[in-house]
Amino acid sequence: MTLSPQEDGETRDTPAEVDAAFRTQRRVALTYFAVFLVVVAVFPLLSTSLSWWLDSRLIGDLSPGFLTVAVGLYAVFAAIGIAAATLSSSVESQMLGSQGDQRAEESGPGAEAGAS
Amino acid sequence: MTTTAIITLVAVLVIVLGVSVITRPRHSSTVDFYLAGQRVGVATNSWAICGDYLSAASFLGVAAAVYVSGLDGAWYAVGFAAGFVPVLLLVAAPLRRYGEFSLADFLGRRLRSDAVRLHSVGVVQLVILCYLIPQSVGGGITWELLVGHGLFGLSPYSTGVLLSTAVIAVLVAAGGMRGTTWNQAVQFLLLFAALLWLAAMVSADGFRYGEAVDSLSSQPLLNPEFTEGSWELTQEQNAVDPGTPAVFGEPGARYGQLGQVALVVTLGLGTAGLPHVMNRYFTAPTGRAARTTTVWVLVLIGIFYALAVMMGTAARDIIPGASREHAWLDELTEDGVLRVPEHALPVLGRIYGDEAGLGLIAAAALIAAMSTVAGLLLASAATWGHDVYERHINPRATQRQAVWVGRGSTLIAAGAAAALAIALRPEAFTPAMPSLVATMVTWAFAIAGSALTPVVVLAIWWRRTTAAGALAGLISGATLSISMFLGASFMEASPLRELMAAPTLVAAPLAFLLTIAVSLRTQPPTDVESDWLIMHGTAADRQAERVADLTLRQRRRGKEDRRAR
Repeated sequence: MTLSPQEDGETRDTPAEVDAAFRTQRRVALTYFAVFLVVVAVFPLLSTSLSWWLDSRLIGDLSPGFLTVAVGLYAVFAAIGIAAATLSSSVESQMLGSQGDQRAEESGPGAEAGAS
Repeated sequence: MTTTAIITLVAVLVIVLGVSVITRPRHSSTVDFYLAGQRVGVATNSWAICGDYLSAASFLGVAAAVYVSGLDGAWYAVGFAAGFVPVLLLVAAPLRRYGEFSLADFLGRRLRSDAVRLHSVGVVQLVILCYLIPQSVGGGITWELLVGHGLFGLSPYSTGVLLSTAVIAVLVAAGGMRGTTWNQAVQFLLLFAALLWLAAMVSADGFRYGEAVDSLSSQPLLNPEFTEGSWELTQEQNAVDPGTPAVFGEPGARYGQLGQVALVVTLGLGTAGLPHVMNRYFTAPTGRAARTTTVWVLVLIGIFYALAVMMGTAARDIIPGASREHAWLDELTEDGVLRVPEHALPVLGRIYGDEAGLGLIAAAALIAAMSTVAGLLLASAATWGHDVYERHINPRATQRQAVWVGRGSTLIAAGAAAALAIALRPEAFTPAMPSLVATMVTWAFAIAGSALTPVVVLAIWWRRTTAAGALAGLISGATLSISMFLGASFMEASPLRELMAAPTLVAAPLAFLLTIAVSLRTQPPTDVESDWLIMHGTAADRQAERVADLTLRQRRRGKEDRRAR
């Protein structure tokens, strides 16, 4: 079965498009991964370098150190996840499938109704 | 056995059997049996992944580790929760888009190598076994506490191990991925509800987190030790500041600084190589859905682990006082401190809800163990039934034959895990390890994170990865991690021992570098570009979304037509 130009644009990506998107995605993933590593590695450093980290009291009378492992790090992980997923999906939407979208626009709204 | 225990057990069985019957596979195809037809939605899949991932190690083990080691025990929770960040950033969407049945099949196809596939199967089976045993141990401990009687002349612990493993093995063999998905989703919701109930009860009783941590930290941390035929409380030494006693609310009760980082890295990188968790991603309809699912998982497990850490603290704070009022605690405690830390949550349940509370928490613990066992057995079935039997032993196998081999391997893996769990009684380890259940799971994470994760990540993100490079990474990562954590068992407490007990910090970079070095000296597979189009392109996602959209429109139109008539 051969696909129409519009279907072909919507169901296939070109190698150049994918390569560009891949490079951007790799940059996004590595940047957020570096942030993740820093967040995890900084705890032992703070424990020894700042007495405030274990001695002072914040929310619920917990020290910043205890609060971090009890609640804070999970919130940070979720925040990293939400930010990275949003950015990655946005990169994919903008960099991939544009050929199909352009063709769909050129064909006009009637084409979509015809396809369905 | 009390009436409550009977009701609890029957309720658990009715739930899992009911879900399995309702969602049983409709066709005898491998895609249906192993991947639930690849049509599992985001919400269902995120609950199912949580059910799969939140094992007895998470439910009983994290609270137990916090109970024994205070802040240092919370590193287990941090590591378990951290694991889904690398999964989201590096693996979820591309792995799903490549769309194979298992991690081994993904690596075999991507690198065009049967040797890679078979070596991956070996590593995957090691991970599954290391993960299965502690779940069966969790089932045994729970039965011991809940029922307290054995059947057919067996001890209560052995009866619990055998029964919980047997029930879930039969359900998985019958229900496949579809039944397992719904079971895991329902089981996660029940597990979450049980933990929320306990947190609400403890808070309503006046538990104040900060005050409890302060009060527990005002004295040295003491834990029971079985020496010369009797239990005695011994003082934990501070690993960060040698020569001083460890306290609950500060680092050092179990790990030095290196140990903390090593544990979190081991647990954090291990998740991306866990076969039962990663196989779930193949059930998502698209790569984008797999990514969104992981975000939901990060949020849900974050809440879960925060509650588990809180409950470990609450148990340490509340049980000494409760032991003066509840005579039944005498046989479980030594001067108000639990002898087996995994009893922390069930004991809290009984304090606040009497037999019904114990029943609820014990049921949740059983559910946690069973849902993870289900995922592990299914992953085992996929590797034997699809990767070995269908690909190598009988390539002309019918779908029905492949499914039956998967079912058979499920029962064999369950039998092996139960036998080993019975051989390794938990008292033999406690308190030499912070929590037996959590420690054994760490081994599974160590092998997965050291051998599978580096190779999977490179196969997804580096075109030059070759089969020879992947073999070097798999073999070196697995061998080094196993040697290190086994070696650590014979060492005295020291920073080196901590590093060896959680070896991924050393083994994963080595496997990573070896994979790269060997790949650079060998020829990469031809036609890698087509793999890149599949893994990093979104054409298939768009097509699937379009088909789903069309199907929905047709359904709507059909309904409107029926109404019009």
